[in-house]
Amino acid sequence: MRSKFGLYLHVPFCASKCRYCDFYSYPPSAGEMDVYVDALCRCMAGWAADAAGETADTVYLGGGTPSLLGAERLSKIIEKARTCFSLTPDAEITVECNPDSMTDALLDGLRRAGVNRLSVGVQSAHDDELALLGRRHTFAEAAEAIGHARTHGFDNLSLDLMYGLPGQTAARFLKSVDALLEFHPEHLSCYGLKLEPGTPMGRENPTLPDDDAQADLYLALCARLRAADYEHYEISNWARPGRRSRHNSKYWDLTPYLGLGPGAHSLWRGKRFAYPRDTGRFLAGGAPEPEEETPDFPAWAEYLMLALRTADGISGAAFSERFGMDFAPFEKRLRDLSASGLTEKTANGWRLTEPGFLVSNSIINYVIQ
Amino acid sequence: MKKQKNIRNFSIIAHIDHGKSTLADRLLEQCEAVTQREMEEQLLDNMDLERERGITIKARAVTMDYKADDGETYQINLIDTPGHVDFNYEVSRSLAACEGAVLVVDASQGVEAQTLANTYLALDHNLEILPVFNKIDLPAADPKKAKQEVEDIIGLPSMDAPEISAKMGTNIRAVMEDIVANIPAPEGDETAPLRALIFDSQYDPYVGVIVLMRLMEGTIKPGMKVKMMATGAEFQVLECGYLRPLSMEPAPMLRAGEVGYFTASIKNVKDTRVGDTVTGVDEPAAEALPGYRPARPMVYCGIYTEDGSKYPDLRDALEKLQLNDAALSFEPESSVALGFGFRCGFLGMLHMEIIQERLEREFNLDLVTTLPSVIYEIIKTDGTTVYVDNPHDYPSPDVIDEAREPYVKASIIAPPDFVGNIMPMCQERRGVFKDMQYLDTNLVELHYEMPLNEIIYDFFDALKAKTKGYASLDYEMSDYRKSDLVKIDMLLNGDQVDALSFIAHREKAYGRARRICEKLKENIPRQLFEVPVQAAIGGKVIARETVKAMRKDVLAKCYGGDITRKKKLLEKQKEGKKKMRSLGTVQLPTEAFMAVLKLDEE
Repeated sequence: MRSKFGLYLHVPFCASKCRYCDFYSYPPSAGEMDVYVDALCRCMAGWAADAAGETADTVYLGGGTPSLLGAERLSKIIEKARTCFSLTPDAEITVECNPDSMTDALLDGLRRAGVNRLSVGVQSAHDDELALLGRRHTFAEAAEAIGHARTHGFDNLSLDLMYGLPGQTAARFLKSVDALLEFHPEHLSCYGLKLEPGTPMGRENPTLPDDDAQADLYLALCARLRAADYEHYEISNWARPGRRSRHNSKYWDLTPYLGLGPGAHSLWRGKRFAYPRDTGRFLAGGAPEPEEETPDFPAWAEYLMLALRTADGISGAAFSERFGMDFAPFEKRLRDLSASGLTEKTANGWRLTEPGFLVSNSIINYVIQ
Repeated sequence: MKKQKNIRNFSIIAHIDHGKSTLADRLLEQCEAVTQREMEEQLLDNMDLERERGITIKARAVTMDYKADDGETYQINLIDTPGHVDFNYEVSRSLAACEGAVLVVDASQGVEAQTLANTYLALDHNLEILPVFNKIDLPAADPKKAKQEVEDIIGLPSMDAPEISAKMGTNIRAVMEDIVANIPAPEGDETAPLRALIFDSQYDPYVGVIVLMRLMEGTIKPGMKVKMMATGAEFQVLECGYLRPLSMEPAPMLRAGEVGYFTASIKNVKDTRVGDTVTGVDEPAAEALPGYRPARPMVYCGIYTEDGSKYPDLRDALEKLQLNDAALSFEPESSVALGFGFRCGFLGMLHMEIIQERLEREFNLDLVTTLPSVIYEIIKTDGTTVYVDNPHDYPSPDVIDEAREPYVKASIIAPPDFVGNIMPMCQERRGVFKDMQYLDTNLVELHYEMPLNEIIYDFFDALKAKTKGYASLDYEMSDYRKSDLVKIDMLLNGDQVDALSFIAHREKAYGRARRICEKLKENIPRQLFEVPVQAAIGGKVIARETVKAMRKDVLAKCYGGDITRKKKLLEKQKEGKKKMRSLGTVQLPTEAFMAVLKLDEE
């Protein structure tokens, strides 16, 4: 392995389920968190030998709500990660936090454990929207939590924001954007609301802004963040210069990552596998399973798909070198689309424009046809 | 073998839903031609499709033996008739094979449009008509009133006519007695040269074509050499006999006056056309029976399979259907948009729908069809005449001296209240009003001359809708007339879509083109770029819509490195695309073609 890998650790617990969420998480029963932390530590120990000789430069605790575990358990996990794997001294260590659990004790503990990046789910600056989403906090509480984080010396914050909520106007959405910019976050992740079957919102099936309106919201967001000097480095991610998420970037450039915990995905030694979304099996020491085959998606198509998600785009030379394939047919299709303003040429290849990001699925399928 | 005086040949005629098929079933029971166990509802309509649509597609016949109150046994031949204007010719041949008709009237409804139209058709063939009043079990039944209506409107003595319930089996024997007593026995010289009228023929994979006929004169027996007087085809009879409800019963000989079948290892129903006369080769008749008319397709459309690789299956299916349906014609054609398929000719729209439905149902094919077209007659500037049934073959306007389209004489019978709805409909379809006659205070008959092109799209359905189902339509080809025709091409993103081209009268072209553009716009999914949808005559665009560029996909998050979820989403999207047809740069779903076809149903 040439490049340094990323370590992802999953926490499948939330104090309550947000009304739009279909990720694998649930409220823990009494004592379950301790049992889980022990299992996760055992799991890391089990991988230690396999990862010997490799170095990780990012650790990401995601969920669920990792902050729900509290400082002590989180510290224990991070401590264990350091003993099982070789971490670079400057490793980016991120913990996802919900504003309602960002107590002084937590933030203090995380700082001491070496956590240097927090990802905070703010989602909206409007309390009615937060209530609709089933979030556990008001905007004032989120603001307070972010203030605490800053006081505790966290200088690398990522904030999550959602757009395309029922009845959301551009003006109202941009109010949320501006409110978040007030915190001068180093990083922003913005996702469109998608109604998932099996979630309360999915069952309610409210009317969302239509595709055109959602596209307008997205482009307005892009413009606002560009004006505020954020770099739009991936479809849904923006960063101040030098503040891209190093961990998430590995997903897009096919750098190895090891994901541990129920529902965690890995790209490890060229193989994709995942632990089943079942905490019970994980606690019992269940092994990960290979990911379902996607025969229409050979490695080169996957590479193209991931590269085109980023503002760096795809380099024809790198593509040809990596897969021994001629880039010309792909380049032709990318060039065809530039007439419609969906793609643009870069120094060594092609990338999607912001209107192109909005239709990236269709572009990718068109390019790899 | 029966003497002619003990033979009765008849049809049952009725307005739709007045109980024709149910009565046929009961008559069969009455003759014990079929046991209760064998009895299936509406035995005569034995194609699935017929049952579901409640219509009779192909004429069938059945021979029963009835022991009457006078102690004699009669050979009763029931010849069933199809009930739609597309098959009027077949109906007329079936009636020509009979001496009488049982007119079924719903005692709760009385005389209705088809009651009258069918009665007139039967009178045209000099049939003895016996009214029968059905559904007396219904609370709303008023046989007295219905009888009075029949006497007043049609002028048939009805007061002593049987009052029955075919459903309950009430009074069915009275109908049989009425038939025996009042329908004349056939007359025809057994010793004269053979003349038999073909009223139907069916293909059977084991014995070849089974020809259904009524012997007018002479006899037929196995071994005899026969000739079809119109087609000239000659065969040696292998077997002849009677059509029993559940089987064929061979007989040593059939004689003048009888109804039955013969087989002769005939490979194709094309040789045994409905209306043709069978005669003997050794002792031929001097003249054929009157009224033969070759079945001629009036409406054409392209038929393709949704899955292009099923083309050979479609060919096999059409060949099989054609074995039984001389009126169906087809030849291969290809389209840039739809691939390989067939240009098919039909008697009319119902015939077309039935064939399409049978292809889908019996042969399990998913079809894409093009807009139906009539046959246009084009006189070119070089003096030659061409007949065009496919817009693709329409000559360039600068070599057309005169374009002509087929006209029909249409007769519409309806209650007077609906005349106000019918006239504007016909007007709008370029109908030329000829005259209107009151048949009675309750019924009028309107005569129009109309372009066939206007009738084939939706006229029959629209007429039914505008008259609550009361109107009946009949039409026959009259002539070709000079017309200001144009060919309209549809363009997607500048590329012509051949399968969507159509020919129309200039006055109709614009409205139709605009509606097709709108339909396409609604049905073409947004693409990565804007797609202009245009209709053009020659190079001139007459209507335009734009399918706006797609602006947003689902931006599912690649959460926690779950790339597989993303790939599956893309694969699913791609799967959807595979079902579409690529036309140049545009992806077009099959539904877009279908939507254009269904244009007039709204």
